[in-house]
Amino acid sequence: MSYYLLLSALLFAIGLYGVLARRTAILIFMSIELMLNAANLAFVAFARNSGNLDGQVMALVVIALAAAEVAVGLGIIVAVFRARSSTSVDDLAELRG
Amino acid sequence: MSAFDLIAGVLLVASALAAVTLKNAVHAGLALVGNFLVLATVYFALEAQFLGWIQIIVYAGAVMVLFLFVIMLLFDAKADVGTGRMPWMRPLAAALAAVFFLALAYAFSGVGPVHPLAEIKLAGGLPGPLGRLLYGPWLYVVLLIAVLLFAATVAAVVLVQPGVRGARKKPQVLERERELGEVDR
Amino acid sequence: MLLLLILLLPLLGFVFLGLFGKHLREPAPGVIASALTGLSFLLVLYGVLTGGAEWAVKDWLPGIPFSLVLDPLSGYMGLVVTGIGFLIHVYAIGYMHGDAGFSRFFAYLNFFIAMMMTLVLAGSYPVMFIGWEGVGLASFLLIGFWYTEKKNADSARKAFITNRIGDLGFLLGMALLYSLFGTLSIAELREAIESSTVLPLALGTAGLLLFVGAVGKSAQVPLMVWLPDAMAGPTPVSALIHAATMVTAGVYLIARSSFLYANLQDVSYFIAVIGLVTAAYGALSALGQWDIKKIVAYSTISQLGYMFLAVGVGAYWIALFHVMTHAFYKALLFMASGSVIHALGGEQDVRKMGGLRKYLPRTHLHGLAGALSLAGFPLLAGFWSKDAIITSTLTYPFGGTGFYLAGLAVAFLTAVYAMRWYVLVFLGEYKGSGHPHEAPPVMTVPNDVLALGAVFAGFLALPEPLWNLVEPYLAPALAHVEKHHMALSLEWGLIALSAVVALVGLYLGYLAFTRRALPGWYLTFQTWSSNAFYVDRVYNVLIVNPLKELALVLALFDGFLDTVYIAAAGAGSWLGGLLSKVQTGYVRAYGALMVLGLVAVLVWGVLR
Repeated sequence: MSYYLLLSALLFAIGLYGVLARRTAILIFMSIELMLNAANLAFVAFARNSGNLDGQVMALVVIALAAAEVAVGLGIIVAVFRARSSTSVDDLAELRG
Repeated sequence: MSAFDLIAGVLLVASALAAVTLKNAVHAGLALVGNFLVLATVYFALEAQFLGWIQIIVYAGAVMVLFLFVIMLLFDAKADVGTGRMPWMRPLAAALAAVFFLALAYAFSGVGPVHPLAEIKLAGGLPGPLGRLLYGPWLYVVLLIAVLLFAATVAAVVLVQPGVRGARKKPQVLERERELGEVDR
Repeated sequence: MLLLLILLLPLLGFVFLGLFGKHLREPAPGVIASALTGLSFLLVLYGVLTGGAEWAVKDWLPGIPFSLVLDPLSGYMGLVVTGIGFLIHVYAIGYMHGDAGFSRFFAYLNFFIAMMMTLVLAGSYPVMFIGWEGVGLASFLLIGFWYTEKKNADSARKAFITNRIGDLGFLLGMALLYSLFGTLSIAELREAIESSTVLPLALGTAGLLLFVGAVGKSAQVPLMVWLPDAMAGPTPVSALIHAATMVTAGVYLIARSSFLYANLQDVSYFIAVIGLVTAAYGALSALGQWDIKKIVAYSTISQLGYMFLAVGVGAYWIALFHVMTHAFYKALLFMASGSVIHALGGEQDVRKMGGLRKYLPRTHLHGLAGALSLAGFPLLAGFWSKDAIITSTLTYPFGGTGFYLAGLAVAFLTAVYAMRWYVLVFLGEYKGSGHPHEAPPVMTVPNDVLALGAVFAGFLALPEPLWNLVEPYLAPALAHVEKHHMALSLEWGLIALSAVVALVGLYLGYLAFTRRALPGWYLTFQTWSSNAFYVDRVYNVLIVNPLKELALVLALFDGFLDTVYIAAAGAGSWLGGLLSKVQTGYVRAYGALMVLGLVAVLVWGVLR
């Protein structure tokens, strides 16, 4: 059981690396999805271990959430990059102090 | 730990690494799709059948397809090249991720099954029992999710409306675009 | 309610004229101000005739009510203040004609009347102190009325600061009385002091402190230096504030507190001495002045000294009697001087005057009446009141023969300098270069009234066996003091003596100052006198300049502190600038920071 938890942690860490290291917004977004799924894996593993279906309910909620998030997020990405026609996130640097 | 677990684990990690490192965006997306599919099989093994099907249908089938559409619509597939303006980011990210994993691994190391595995009766994670839970104690959550999905739909539609008629790009944007011609590609 | 109205009417005038005065054309502000003051006079008169009034707000300050009281003493003083105030208001309509600050002047004058009446009608010391401070403020505003001239502003400041020193004494005296008796209402204090046996040292200290306040306000030695400089203000101001009313506030305070002083022999003796010294100083300095108003100013200092001599020996009602007669003839002298100055187009140097008898017949009569009354010419008002004071030094408990002789000597000097004033201004040949013209009726009519008062007011209180209206009227409000009885023949003999002294002084003055040349010893004395015996210079060296140096040092220190604060602020600003470099604007950098924080928390949580 802790095997799956470790796996989840590893996937999450990989996703974390992706969020920071990627330059284009869409690829950052994909890394975020990876992180969400790692969390889901942990939920399901716990559900299995404790004999309680609540973990799976949580995972279901997360999936629904992710779907909504993707819809809105991609919409934002499309809108932003239509206005900019630049693909690098580093170019969105107008809020510098 | 069965063979299945091992193989699944290797596949998951490999596809994840591929998804975060491949330069070609489409390739990365496809790697992620593979990751999700393997994850679905893991769900089946962990007695979450309903969830597994949902994973395939919604995540791999809808979300990732959406991603791939957007990538192919808007992006030059070889866009993510070079380290851009922050060369120190890659090593830092790797370091942070490593520390993170180690900390979490240490935290998880003491966790074991609550009951002996033999006695666990999850009823396979079938729709029936899951549904009873959803519309029982977790009803409010379900309702909230419904509202959320509605809001997301509206937002998505609004966001992709064409801009105000006559809106021009801001001077900074035009300047940037001129600059981008010289950025290392 | 009546009492409140007496205060509020002039206060209303102040507010109204202050806000809207500049939209009114002359002479409207003056008429309004005079009318309000006249109304106040009528209200006081009504109050006096109907036997007095009281008004109070309980617990205005914790344990101290805001109380106004119209008893014989405050009624008497109130009539003097509002009556003479009214006449001076009318006079000022003519004197201030054409001045750019016409309405502002009358606003301030009304404010003064309101504050002075607060002082007079006060039933408790804090209320009196409000009026006390208020008249000080009014004095400041009016002395520095033509504030664009630095000299005027300086004089106003000098008056205010010197007053303030006295005010400290007043405050401390009040505090001491409150701590001893737990009340500051005059009626209650009177009962408490007359019936209790409190430590005389404490009571004496309180009395002394209150007297310090009077010294400042009434220009006694050593705080008299502000009064001559106060002549920088317009003449109506000098007449009203620095002759008739404000400067007598100190006398009023002592009289009001007579129940305190009647039992304090040493303090009263000290007061009398100070009064005498002041009287002598004023008279000696008046002999050498060359400014027409400064002569009268030093005369005021001298006469105030007489009033304090009177309260010092215990003759409270006599001091108040002198307040009234002095108000008449001193205001008259000032306003006559003002008419002269107005006639000569602003000339104030007596050496450029003379022979104005021909050009200013009415004013000449006014000046003569005032001067004679001041000198103590027999049967005039000044004669009766000054003689009452001098005689009282022999009959009242705290007096003595030394006081009598000194008082008589100063009376002689008074006659001399009064005659000098008259001779230099009105007799001889006109030495100036202007075209003198008589003042308009709005200025001469009030002077006529004052002249009548200067001549006849003394008949209100005549020595025995003739009638005395003032003493019995004021008696209920004052402390009872045992007088020695003096044989009638002796009393009238002394009266005759002082009449002779006054006449001799007048004659000698006439002889001396109509001559061309004066003896050498007198000329030396005259130089000393014209500089008021260099008191101002002494004060400057001993007090003013050291304080200025100290202020400069402190200012340096203050500047240094400012630098420290600015440096501290600069350091904060620099730090902020440094930290703002984190805001690169790059999303990934922010993300990295977030993850960094997350990892840190996680590690910390795991390691616990």
